[in-house]
Amino acid sequence: MRKLMNLAAATAFGAATMAVPAFAQGGPTLTKVLDRGTLLCTGHNGSFQGFAEVDDQGNWTGLDIDLCKGLASGLFGTHEGNLEIVPISWAQRWPALQSGDVDVIIKASGWTMSRDTELNLNFSRPYLIGAFQVMSLKDLGAENVAGLDGGSICVAAGTSTEKVMAAFIESNQLEIELITFEKTEEVNSSYFAGRCDGVIEWGPALAATRLQADNPEDHVILPDVVALEAEGIVVPHGDDNWHDIQNWLLATLWFAEQEGVTQANVDEMKANPPTTAVGKMLGATPGYGSRLGLSDDWGYHVIKAIGNFGEVYERNLGSGSSYKLPRGINNLWTKGGVHYPMIID
Amino acid sequence: MSAEVSFGRKVRRDFFATPLDSVITLAFSALLIYLLYGVLSWGIFNAIWGGDSADVCRADGAKHGACWTVINVRWRLILFGLYPYEEQWRSAIACMVILVTAVLSCIPYFWTGKRLALTWISGFAAFYLLMKGGILGLPLVVERDWGGLSLTVFIFSSVAMIGMPMSIVIALMRRSKLPLIARPTAFLIDVTRSLPLLSIMFTAAVVIPFVLPQWLQGDKLYRIIIGFAIFFAAYQAEIIRGGFQAVPSGQEEASAALGLNYWQNLWYIMLPQVFRAALPPTINQFVITFKETSLVVLIGFFEVLASGAAAFGTAEWKFAYKEVYVFVGLIFFVFVLSLSRYGAYLERRLSVEQR
Repeated sequence: MRKLMNLAAATAFGAATMAVPAFAQGGPTLTKVLDRGTLLCTGHNGSFQGFAEVDDQGNWTGLDIDLCKGLASGLFGTHEGNLEIVPISWAQRWPALQSGDVDVIIKASGWTMSRDTELNLNFSRPYLIGAFQVMSLKDLGAENVAGLDGGSICVAAGTSTEKVMAAFIESNQLEIELITFEKTEEVNSSYFAGRCDGVIEWGPALAATRLQADNPEDHVILPDVVALEAEGIVVPHGDDNWHDIQNWLLATLWFAEQEGVTQANVDEMKANPPTTAVGKMLGATPGYGSRLGLSDDWGYHVIKAIGNFGEVYERNLGSGSSYKLPRGINNLWTKGGVHYPMIID
Repeated sequence: MSAEVSFGRKVRRDFFATPLDSVITLAFSALLIYLLYGVLSWGIFNAIWGGDSADVCRADGAKHGACWTVINVRWRLILFGLYPYEEQWRSAIACMVILVTAVLSCIPYFWTGKRLALTWISGFAAFYLLMKGGILGLPLVVERDWGGLSLTVFIFSSVAMIGMPMSIVIALMRRSKLPLIARPTAFLIDVTRSLPLLSIMFTAAVVIPFVLPQWLQGDKLYRIIIGFAIFFAAYQAEIIRGGFQAVPSGQEEASAALGLNYWQNLWYIMLPQVFRAALPPTINQFVITFKETSLVVLIGFFEVLASGAAAFGTAEWKFAYKEVYVFVGLIFFVFVLSLSRYGAYLERRLSVEQR
């Protein structure tokens, strides 16, 4: 890395009269992380299903953990030995980031105005749309929430979920009765006991709830997005380079999916890139890394370690996992979702 | 005379004296048996014991009781937390070392200042070296990866070891005849006691890094232990002060009349009697402290309750949270019961000397 920097400086000096420098100096966070040799990324104090779980051997798995691995692989070439998952509670994550206990928060954290402004945080582009969805019995044959017209939905009382569900019902002019309960456990057990035709929750949580049913296949998660929370990667204010890296990490994952680059074929794609943009992203031609202060093949290491965005999703939340949460709004724009890469030039 | 009364007669006399007594006895026995049967049939008779995946419990529907398979598969995660899998034997031995140290220091032979200090210092040094490694070919394991039962035991014994001497010092300062020492100490005790333990822990974990310079901070784990120890000491100091007040003032006057100085009076006359008087609430305080170690889960430590939560926090084991909580509950039960029984033993021993 030092060598690269020297080279960068030399090149910049040589080219100073002709053009802007081709290489960027990494920001303070990047320099700190690279000097340390370890990325400190967020885990959970216990388990957050689908995002940060612990397997029998005590290793972390999950969607957020995969993004941590991808980031570490992009910075160091491999995440083995270069990634520390720091167990952290929900309440502790912001102070932990400010005090440097972690370098980055990848912890299903919703982008809100107060966090963005008052807490001095920067959010990356949302990597997951946390959709509030409705689950219902497959036997009812409903294909969307409108199909539950005339029925009832279980919801936790006094929560924002209750408000958005009520608003959704009103704006769609449906006749659905909301049955409220004080606690989430009550909501779920009442739904399973047949008190209501459907139940509304945060999508991934709903998928985890479904697994507690006697027969999970009897329940279907309807595609309507009743409300949503945009989950982003969080970094502190004041280091644009570090913020850029998070955005381009996600762009890499989305672009790879859009162009059909997978964990399995990434070597081949690097050797024979189908387009110049893919070649650039995988480091076959220079420029993708140096402008961020990284090595040029960092995109290759990311895909090699965790695969493209679709693979990460399906492995942890989607068809490749027990949760079987359909991608829906979290698909690429080409397949009816909201995710899209930026242009790699 | 009651020794001569036969068992059957005794039962009749105590439980079936009048028709109303009989009805009450029968009703409560029936309720008790019903509840006990429910617990046993869930936990033992209808439980599933073996197996290595959740499918064993899923296969025959919801007809079975507890699914102990989850403990079978996930016990290492519960006991050792995030400690690296291949190195978990170190965590196991370290936990044993602390337990042996604790047991040794409960034996009267070790009750001299020198022996106690030696036992604890060597016990803690062995624990630290085993857990942290980094020398003798043991790979380094940083504190944030420590977890499970070893972490719980470590936090508890460190808090007790730092907090206990601290509490004696605070109690003495609180009883000082100089108002300049006694009043501020009393104020500090009151302040510490009026703060929730959780906020003290959060301060130690989250606020201190913004206040103290880097070299003074130490790892988060040690900051929390020190915060916890101060909290413990504030309560324990009041218990010890109560012990001082229970000792008749004639004792102190007599020792002064014998020409003993302050320290001799304290060491030979006061403290032995203070401890005897303060023993029951002290054991109480230890038990509470052991259970309060679970609060560290909120600052991101993988103590035994958190690793239990992680053990059932997967798609496969989500349904088995009852079994995991029962298992963790049993661990706590064993520890707290041993503490209580040891306290009872001490009380018996001390009262023999007294009377």
